[in-house]
Amino acid sequence: MTGIRFKSLVVTVAAAFVAMACGGNNTTGTGGAELAADQTLTIPIQDDVQTLDPGHVQSGVDITFTTEMFAGLYGLDNSNKIINMIATGQPDVSSDGKTYTFHMRKDAKFWNGDPIKSSDVLYSWNRAAALNDAYATVFQPVVGFDDTSNGKTKAMSGLSATDDYTVKATLTDAAGYWMSELAIWTAAVVSQKAITAAGEDVWWTKPDTAVGAGPFKMTERTAKASMAFQPVANWWGGSTGALKNIKVEIGVDQASAVKKYEAGGYDLVGMANNGPGPDDILRYKADPTKQKEENIYPAARTTWVNFGFTGSSPFAPKAGITPGQPTAGLSADDGKSGRNAFSLSIDRAALVDVACSKGATCTAATGGLIAKGLKGYVGDGKDPNAVFNASTAKADYTKWDPSGSKIASLKYRYNASAGNTKIAQNLQSQWKANLGINIDLAPSDFPTLIADRNAKKTPLARGSWGADYDHPQDWFDNLWTCDAAKVGHGGTEGYCNPAMDKTLATANAESIDKAIPSYQQAGQTLIDDNVDAVLFYGTQTYFTHTYVQGAGFNSLYDFNWQGIKILKH
Amino acid sequence: MTRGTLIYIGQRLLLITLTALIVSSIVFIGVHQLPGNAFLSERSPNPSAEQVLVHHYGLDRPWPVQYVSWLTGVLHGDLGESLVNRGVKITPLVLREARVSATLGFWAMVFTITLGMSLGILAAVKQNTLLDYVASFCAVIGYSMPSFVTATFLVLLTVTGFFAWSGGLVYENIGWGKPEQIPVPAISLGLLPSAIIFRLTRASMLEVIRQDYVRTAWAKGLRSRIVIIRHALRNALIPVITILGPITTGVITGSIVIEYIFGIPGLGKEFINSIANRDYNVVIGVFTFYAILVGIANLLVDLVYPILDPRIRY
Repeated sequence: MTGIRFKSLVVTVAAAFVAMACGGNNTTGTGGAELAADQTLTIPIQDDVQTLDPGHVQSGVDITFTTEMFAGLYGLDNSNKIINMIATGQPDVSSDGKTYTFHMRKDAKFWNGDPIKSSDVLYSWNRAAALNDAYATVFQPVVGFDDTSNGKTKAMSGLSATDDYTVKATLTDAAGYWMSELAIWTAAVVSQKAITAAGEDVWWTKPDTAVGAGPFKMTERTAKASMAFQPVANWWGGSTGALKNIKVEIGVDQASAVKKYEAGGYDLVGMANNGPGPDDILRYKADPTKQKEENIYPAARTTWVNFGFTGSSPFAPKAGITPGQPTAGLSADDGKSGRNAFSLSIDRAALVDVACSKGATCTAATGGLIAKGLKGYVGDGKDPNAVFNASTAKADYTKWDPSGSKIASLKYRYNASAGNTKIAQNLQSQWKANLGINIDLAPSDFPTLIADRNAKKTPLARGSWGADYDHPQDWFDNLWTCDAAKVGHGGTEGYCNPAMDKTLATANAESIDKAIPSYQQAGQTLIDDNVDAVLFYGTQTYFTHTYVQGAGFNSLYDFNWQGIKILKH
Repeated sequence: MTRGTLIYIGQRLLLITLTALIVSSIVFIGVHQLPGNAFLSERSPNPSAEQVLVHHYGLDRPWPVQYVSWLTGVLHGDLGESLVNRGVKITPLVLREARVSATLGFWAMVFTITLGMSLGILAAVKQNTLLDYVASFCAVIGYSMPSFVTATFLVLLTVTGFFAWSGGLVYENIGWGKPEQIPVPAISLGLLPSAIIFRLTRASMLEVIRQDYVRTAWAKGLRSRIVIIRHALRNALIPVITILGPITTGVITGSIVIEYIFGIPGLGKEFINSIANRDYNVVIGVFTFYAILVGIANLLVDLVYPILDPRIRY
């Protein structure tokens, strides 16, 4: 071979390698798998979003889209670990834990090109506090929150900007949980210009005015019909991943969604809190070819039977307790015998089998009120009240209510749905079989049940809580403090334990690592006092085609869209 | 169109308006007596935030004041704003979804009338033949199966079944927006009423073709097509037209379930969702619209009578 021919051959071969590496419509994904040319993810949801305004968002559906459209100083990765977004790093915190200084990136922008400065952070946080919606309490630790949330002031006095890229926050008390709160959507930065121009109520409803700083932006919305999203070009936060389009079809019921998924019309079912129905879940479990498309994740929700601790509730430590007054340490028994009887008489495995479609939609709770997988979870098998023991239950019941007079007018209240009705009926039959008592069922719609529970008018009712973020403070402060026990607040049992409140106050001020033992101690107190009969922890199921990589659920939120890829198929 | 007919139409339109107002007023008063509201959620409700929302929607005013305000809005074509999906105006939403439901309903009625009448006529003309027996048997099955059963069966067949048999090439794409997404839901909705139309058409035709004038037409040697269509059918259609009014109402209300099963973003689906979510404003808006729609459907049916039978005059 001559020199010239050899050189030509080398050049040709090299060119071929370069062409293989750079050319073609398909690119290579993780592990060498080829990506599809069309990186469009299509998903269904049953109901339209209520709002995408971070200051108002509270439902699971809305959260999924809001966290992609908007960004705050901090965010959460797929493991629920707090990550820096607009902030350059962790804040400088004073030694007393009350002053936080945040430093911001200088290159963060809204998708319309407007730079993000400290004034935008102040505007966004003050606005969220002033809107005073469900999650405005994210800013409760900040000095001046009460006045702003009550409309007395427009801005929290504890917030200030020392320069264009530095925000300072002064808290009334040290709050170790505050960083977890700042990572959720309520603390996202919004555009004052866009909101003022489009209007407070409607700015988020149109793609042109729904201006955010997140990796994705809305490109189409037809109310109650469809939405579409695309990645923000040259996003300041780096790569937006492989997806080029996310299409959302609204108004598709569970069964139809699965059918269309099986026909290839959807890439996955389960995102945005819109999972498949129990029948389909079981069908997939039983089918070896379909099993690999099914993923059942723990969901950060616990469901329990609520015992009333106030008023004329038969489970109260004593009669006539006003909500907000202490309910612990009032008597030798504190009403525990009755609560024990009701709790120990429930065979959770049987309940889950019958009422959760053989475990398709929940798992039996054995480790306390905080859901498994979250910080503060007491531990598997650590709740003795969750162990089925019919004989002990019967003995406790006989001791507590020998004449049967205490349960004469007792009804089990719950919000009517197919699943809740099954659970209620199973509880009723188990109480009948194991305690020999008949408890009437009283279904109602959810708003009525919530109103009555918060008014402490439900001595025996369905209770449930889904975590907002992975910090025990989210559970305790909302559900089991003396403040939560007051009328109108969310402590639906009316349980008030001042000693536990002191423990919680200390834990809330500490960093999570230091505080965990205190929270677990508080969790144990709830178990010892048998505040609620914990039934089961929720699950979230995804059906995902094998060509979709990177989708999933981390017990609280969907995985970020940036990590999702559509492989060639 | 005669003066009498115009007066009749005017009177009926007034009656429809009055009916719609009464129906929607009853619904308005009814839903406002229900405890609770659409703003309650599991998370501890913030009383002042809830109050802001309640005030924004005017729900803190006495309900007679709310009623007058709502009525004024309705008379200006403004059905208000959704309580659950913030920022969504109800009038454009109802109109958009009504177009979807009307499209579905229209094609369902086309299917109903075409299948029901044509088979009914054929079965009557070919009475006691195999065609008659098969058609009658199918009609019995047709009106024994509720529309949601038919719909579920068709979904299984055309989505899962076709997809599996054709290796993924042919299948029904659940949803709305493309022409090919219309036939299956329209058939689901129209099958039961088509069975009713078939039975009635057949019975009515059998009665009419035995009349003397029809026998005379046969005897005169006229072709079958002319005897059936020009002489017999017009009279046979009168009872069929009578039932078209309630059937249209049935199609309108039956679309609620069909829209849900097929994921069609129509008025029926909206109705169910708004009740479940306590979105009172949407419930009232949809109810008002339905009342007007049913009234107009019945009026149109009544206007067809004089065309069929010149003896009928308004």
